[in-house]
Amino acid sequence: MLWIALHCPTLSLDWIERRFPATLIPAMAVTVRQGNQIYIQQANQPAQRRGVMARQPLASALSLFPDLILVEHDPNEETKALQEAAYAALRFTPYIVMQGSGLIAEVSGSLKLFGGLKKLCRLLNQAVAAQGLQLCVGIAPTATGAWLLARSAPLRTVVNGAGARLRLLLDSLPAGLLESAQPHLEAIRGIGCKTLADLQRLPRSGVARRFGPDLLIELDHAYGNSPDPQRWLEMPEYFQQKTALMAQVENVELLSVAVQRMIEQMCGWLALRYAAVLEFSFVLHHEYSPRQPHKSTPIKIRLSEQSDDPRHLMILLREWLGRTEIVAPVCELELTADKVTAGPDSNLELFPTSQSETTSLNRFIEKLSSRLGPQAITRLNVIPDHRPEYSQSCQPPGMNNLSCRKAIPLESTHPLTRPAWLRETPLELRVQRHQPVYGSPLKLIAGPERIEAGWWDDAPIARDYFIAENALGQLLWIYREQNPAAKNAGWYLQGLFG
Amino acid sequence: MPTLASSSLASLSLLQIETQFRDRIWRGDALGSSPDQIVSSGFDELDKALPGGGWSTHSLTELLLPAEGLGEIRLLSQPLKHITQDGRNILLVDPPHLPYMHAWENLDIDSRRILVAKVSKSAERLWVIEQGIKSAAFGIIICWLPAASPQALRKLQIIARTAASLIFLFRPASAQSEPSAAPLRILLAPAKRHTLSVRLLKRRGASIDLPLYIPLPQIEPFFNPITPAPALANVVDRSSLPDVIT
Repeated sequence: MLWIALHCPTLSLDWIERRFPATLIPAMAVTVRQGNQIYIQQANQPAQRRGVMARQPLASALSLFPDLILVEHDPNEETKALQEAAYAALRFTPYIVMQGSGLIAEVSGSLKLFGGLKKLCRLLNQAVAAQGLQLCVGIAPTATGAWLLARSAPLRTVVNGAGARLRLLLDSLPAGLLESAQPHLEAIRGIGCKTLADLQRLPRSGVARRFGPDLLIELDHAYGNSPDPQRWLEMPEYFQQKTALMAQVENVELLSVAVQRMIEQMCGWLALRYAAVLEFSFVLHHEYSPRQPHKSTPIKIRLSEQSDDPRHLMILLREWLGRTEIVAPVCELELTADKVTAGPDSNLELFPTSQSETTSLNRFIEKLSSRLGPQAITRLNVIPDHRPEYSQSCQPPGMNNLSCRKAIPLESTHPLTRPAWLRETPLELRVQRHQPVYGSPLKLIAGPERIEAGWWDDAPIARDYFIAENALGQLLWIYREQNPAAKNAGWYLQGLFG
Repeated sequence: MPTLASSSLASLSLLQIETQFRDRIWRGDALGSSPDQIVSSGFDELDKALPGGGWSTHSLTELLLPAEGLGEIRLLSQPLKHITQDGRNILLVDPPHLPYMHAWENLDIDSRRILVAKVSKSAERLWVIEQGIKSAAFGIIICWLPAASPQALRKLQIIARTAASLIFLFRPASAQSEPSAAPLRILLAPAKRHTLSVRLLKRRGASIDLPLYIPLPQIEPFFNPITPAPALANVVDRSSLPDVIT
């Protein structure tokens, strides 16, 4: 087994910073109550620049910077932020354990798919860091070992303890990292134990008697001397995530980071279920104000083909957001996967095949219709009818366009002469000396062909069609109404021979 | 005074330079070749005049047309037919009229493979063309561009270099005086009936001034050509009817 532990040392600040647009983060500090006094637990970069430091009493921090925004240590929100990050990590492995202020992922089954440990570790790190957490990473063959290494690593570094290196690396770790050693730190230091190696050298029975059995169990788990079963993170059967924003956002661009995170979370959840989304909805919840009756702006996106690709979903959502007018400041975002189907059989293809071409076609259609509206792109369906106006219909291109049977244009022994272009409505032509005119007087070169049909549906036509040519060289398809009632029937231009 | 940028280049013979930079340098008097995939136009005479021997992918082809209805679709019918037979798709961006699918089917073009994009704004039209070129879905993209700036065409040509599809831009004949980044520019004009005059304004390689005359596939008339005095009355061939009626 191989474990990658992601530890977030600044989680108590990160959960709140990630809810701000990156440019709007104020100076903030997390406070924690110790006895009667309130201390600064962590301060973010802008606050640190003002001189606010961890373990400072609150009063001295406020005297340094009175406008400091104080946030109370909130374990619930921290767990929520971690859980959201875990969603994004699900794309790389289904086995994830939540551990205090970080995640541990079992990745031995994903190494090959993602191209080796190094690449996988980088991708996993990027995916979780993109959720707005600052990480240090430990890799080890045991879960507890990986977790200890991650906690010992400086921010944004990776400690790789895969294979035989684990024992060496663990030996040099300070004993204070062990969770079960926390109540006995004084005593452990007092007997001269600094590192895990020192603790390992002590007689086991004595250690168990003095510090309780938990310390030995934790050590055994870390070194892999005893089995270490984990409680895997369980995900709900449906996907619905909400992100509350800390700033009032009126600009779509500022939303895009939060939106991207939510899409990544959804795709992680989809990957866990080996599913793909067909329909999802995105809701912008607006700040309440009596002047503003709008409470929320829902966006519903229906895909023509199921997808689990965060890039594609993000492009679609961005196009939609670009067209959506933000009527009031947004304070909360909500993403729901409404319709989920089994995932695509996405075997990696060596050569582009018709399958991948169909996928890219569907994506093109989606992209176009989400930007220009569904009527912008159509497919023309051939209908076996002799009347030109009724012989084809515009249809939104769907997924199953090719499953329909091959069109049979018109049943006839030899193909009928039809022009490549059809005018949407026939154009009445001027008549000059009994000759129809389009640009110049027309010369009839073939015809007539009588089309008389439609007595069955109240749109009967009776026309004589001719092919005509003008001086420019255009070949035209024109007709004359054959209406016995009207003597002087006019000429109409129906189409052009392209 | 600047010397030759690379002295090693100077020592190469002309022949060596030609072989070394074969795809980038061609002699002015010879017809350029194309490293890209070529699709035959279906007309021998035209293939001989086109660099590489046919329509070339990875680049824009500009067709300047004084008016619709001169036979422009019949000129492209061979590649259109082959692309749909290979199961690939065709994108029409902003055609001037509705394509009449019965006629396209008569040219053996599978109408189910044709997508029509209708765009009203010029900027959106360029965006659609770009997306179409970038998407791997289309074998042929045909666009009608009434007006396009040289910058926009240059951008399209740069994107087209990455695409494996044939890209045809139909533009008005008045655009022939405007600069364009398309490597192949052709002015179409009617000649005799069912013949199209094709003048290559710009191509890789030697220019030719004289237009080619391409005989188009004939439109089969419904029946016999009109007699000098057309009988417009409803003519019924009574010979096939049973005698009872007569």
